[in-house]
Amino acid sequence: MSTKKILLVDDSCTARLVNRMIFSQKSNYVLISAMDGKEAVERAKREKPDLILMDIVMPRMTGLEACRVLKKDKETEKIPVILLTTRGEEQYVQEGYASGCSDYLTKPVNDTELLDLLKAYLGE
Amino acid sequence: MTGTGNGSRPPTKVGCPTEPADGNALIPTGMEELRVRVQQLSLREQIERNHFLLMRLNAANARLIQSLEQGDVFEGIAEIIANLLGSEEIAVFDYHPVEKTFSLAWSSGVEAEALQPFLCGAGMFGRAVQQGLSQFQERQQDGALLPYEKNLTACVILKSSREIVGVIAIFGLLPQKNNLEWADYELLKFLETYGAVAMKFQRLQGRQVST
Repeated sequence: MSTKKILLVDDSCTARLVNRMIFSQKSNYVLISAMDGKEAVERAKREKPDLILMDIVMPRMTGLEACRVLKKDKETEKIPVILLTTRGEEQYVQEGYASGCSDYLTKPVNDTELLDLLKAYLGE
Repeated sequence: MTGTGNGSRPPTKVGCPTEPADGNALIPTGMEELRVRVQQLSLREQIERNHFLLMRLNAANARLIQSLEQGDVFEGIAEIIANLLGSEEIAVFDYHPVEKTFSLAWSSGVEAEALQPFLCGAGMFGRAVQQGLSQFQERQQDGALLPYEKNLTACVILKSSREIVGVIAIFGLLPQKNNLEWADYELLKFLETYGAVAMKFQRLQGRQVST
């Protein structure tokens, strides 16, 4: 049984809900959530998740900014960050990887693709 | 590989392991197993697809209910379409049945000026209201779109108890999304009814507050 912890970061409750449903039905991950980049950084430092799944366009702090902050911090730099966003344009993808993310997925999310990717990162 | 050895094996009946004509029962049995496996895979795929659809509908439903509490039905609809369908260019029109006119209620990602022609209710947009049926660009006949509708992906009729409440116009899809898929049509069917109920609820609530 997996007890890996995932931090879901999205200002859209629809997105958070869909992701929660995908994970709760098909995995045993422990899920915690944040509604913007700033809250994500705080929760990541406090709770040390095994992986962060984060949107880009969010209030207060974007996913790109949050990713940069997390990667500069020794406490959180090793946590894989997967960006999951509606922004599929090449420019955003490049910016995403430049911010230090481990992977970049676009919405609408494909549940199988998402779970396979997470399993690859979490070693299960 | 096993075989008869003479190169003249009679045609094998697929799915009929009871007739191993040449004593080579392994081949038909293997094929039968393969057929069953393919069927199982297809069944599993169907289950997965339907499960995925139910999750999306459940999430959409939860967001609509939340939007009633928060009074942000239009934002809720836009969020559902952006996250679950894949478009960030949306306009919602109110329909006034007595005057048979439209008014723009809310939009996101589309210039208000570009939406002006839609208020006359012609083209695919007009057909949707006249017929009371949602229209989709990929199902339109050639030449059935007006020039300003080129980027119009879908007109979703919001209908509650046969009464047209409004229209959701969905314009461009996200770059990673090429076209609407089967689950998108199901989601839009959901919005036709439940989006209408939510919009009507919001309207009535507004009236209650103003009286």
